[in-house]
Amino acid sequence: MASTPVALSGAERQRRLELRELLNAKYVFIDRTWDAVFWITAIFIVAGAADITKLLFAGDWDFWTDWKDPQWWPVVTAFATIIIPSALQYIQWVAWRFPTGATYTCCCLFLATWIGRFFQWHVAESYPMNFVWPISTVPAGIILDWILMKTRSFILTSLIGGGAWAILVWAFNYIPLAPYLQPAQFMHHVLTVSDVQGIAYIRSQTPEYLRHIERGALRSFLGETQYVSLLFGGTLAAVGYWVGQFIGRYLAVWPIRRYIKTL
Amino acid sequence: MRRWLLSGILTLLVTCFSVAQAFAHGEAADEPFLKDLTVAFYNVHVSPTSITVGQPVTITGSLKILETWPYTLDPPVTAYITPVVPGPVFALVDREVNGQPAFGSITVERGGTYDFKMVMRGRNPGRWHVHPGIAIQGTGTLIGPGEWVTVSPSDTPFKLNVMLLNGTTVDLEHFGGGFVWWWSFAGFIVGLVWMIYWTVPKRTVTRLAVTSQLGANDDAPDIGLITREDHKWMNVLAAITILMLVGGWAWMAAKYPVRLPQQTDRFAPTLDTSSYHLAEVRPVGSPNNATFDEKTNTLTISLDVKNTGTQPIMLKQYSMAMATFVNGSQQELAEAGPHDFVGSLQVEPPDPIPAGQTRRVVLKMASPIFDEERLIPLHDPQQLIAGLLAVRDNVGREERVTVKSVLVPTEFQAQYLP
Repeated sequence: MASTPVALSGAERQRRLELRELLNAKYVFIDRTWDAVFWITAIFIVAGAADITKLLFAGDWDFWTDWKDPQWWPVVTAFATIIIPSALQYIQWVAWRFPTGATYTCCCLFLATWIGRFFQWHVAESYPMNFVWPISTVPAGIILDWILMKTRSFILTSLIGGGAWAILVWAFNYIPLAPYLQPAQFMHHVLTVSDVQGIAYIRSQTPEYLRHIERGALRSFLGETQYVSLLFGGTLAAVGYWVGQFIGRYLAVWPIRRYIKTL
Repeated sequence: MRRWLLSGILTLLVTCFSVAQAFAHGEAADEPFLKDLTVAFYNVHVSPTSITVGQPVTITGSLKILETWPYTLDPPVTAYITPVVPGPVFALVDREVNGQPAFGSITVERGGTYDFKMVMRGRNPGRWHVHPGIAIQGTGTLIGPGEWVTVSPSDTPFKLNVMLLNGTTVDLEHFGGGFVWWWSFAGFIVGLVWMIYWTVPKRTVTRLAVTSQLGANDDAPDIGLITREDHKWMNVLAAITILMLVGGWAWMAAKYPVRLPQQTDRFAPTLDTSSYHLAEVRPVGSPNNATFDEKTNTLTISLDVKNTGTQPIMLKQYSMAMATFVNGSQQELAEAGPHDFVGSLQVEPPDPIPAGQTRRVVLKMASPIFDEERLIPLHDPQQLIAGLLAVRDNVGREERVTVKSVLVPTEFQAQYLP
């Protein structure tokens, strides 16, 4: 909920009234121009940072339908995708009190990955889009921003939002994945449709054994592998959130502050 | 300045429009020991070599995981036999290893011989170089000899139909793709509305001046940073997001009630154990069992071959990595594998080796493939080569014996060898 300052001293009340006037002040030359320049140019940088981070940590788990498995996919993608949204969330909240950092990053990433997959993997490499579609993190970004807006706390956002992020990234993308998990007949075996895609659309340098399908002993959890994975994913996402906070605080904002102070 | 700019643009244009399409697979960049001491391919055939989109191409052949597998690599345990082609220009529809269906990876062992058959259907028109390959965990993909296959356009678009267990047939080229896009796009639209709400009516410049004077956990509704109205609309958008998720999940659960985890299976293909043993082969010469002349691309190997069978034997082939050298007629050469990877083998003396006898022989092979595929270690930490020597007796039985030789290039001889 929106906080309401209580029992303010007269001086403090006056200061806040001045801040209110400052908030509504008009700066003819840079107001809208600056906003437009910032929001549009930042798309490329933010999308690039988010995509590179995702590729570094999650790599193939976001590339192919047959890698979106119940065990590793919820763990690695949640961690990989929360880092830059967290950094942007810090920057945009502290600078402007906008609960938009995560949503903005996810929207930028959405545009970049769909354009990249279409031109690089579908047009240039001729993989069908239904095999190389990227996951969407936008709904998870919306909820992460909503949690920050409600709690006004990065600590609470990391604890609640980390878990929510892991669940939402998985749940939102599991819905379009479901058709590809139907059983099919292929090469004298019962396989999922996504397995068939992975075999049929040849990846000479991505052999099947690189997938981590059902390694480990998570089967002991009554076969509900994905829920155990989500628990791990949520924990890791909370950790990833603080990696992002570190980037936001010390790699992005701090050097700029130092630079401005030296001017 | 203008001249520099013009030069830059011209360079960019020339670079962009003069680049030839790459058809190689990078195997020549691998170190020789990675190809020579690991796996030898033989009897590889790719047919037919001209099809239209949708028609099948079959790759057959054999490979042996050599006993000479270098200690510098992880031991070969898990492997995946695959076509090596420039992306999904073909679609793989069937694969067998030693006669057994093999949709995924297999377990392999040193000394194991694996006969493979892979059926692909042409997907993209063009002229494509098709190789068999074996990816081995910890090593990478080792490729066999390749053949050019021409895929002509077809009047009907390519379809990859797969039968689901519920009896429905789906075309994998497009199945589910539309829903993936529209579902993701719907989520993006909600995010876009969220962003427009904050960025269009609210300015950043004045907010920075205010927030810099407040604590990070102060959303200052009294000042107007985040108002009750903001909370109300963000609650609506968050609720839409959750409702979309719940609705989508319910729809998915109803439409696709049966969902399997991705499947995996690894098995050890049954190995063919021959009941006969035709020859024992031992490299001879010290220190060099083999020499290579860079000027003429000629490899010479000295061996002692003992006939351990009951019939006279002939030395018919020497297979090394993806190359095969044949001691025989032009027809035998043509039948040995893809033309670019087959050469002549000269055996001295050429006569059959009688049963029970040991004979010192010299194998001589001259081919540009040694240089083109970088098969020969010239200045390497492992000056070794290995290959399979095929011996055949009078009654048509054949055995392939692994031969490992120390190789010294002839250019060294003037300085170090007598």
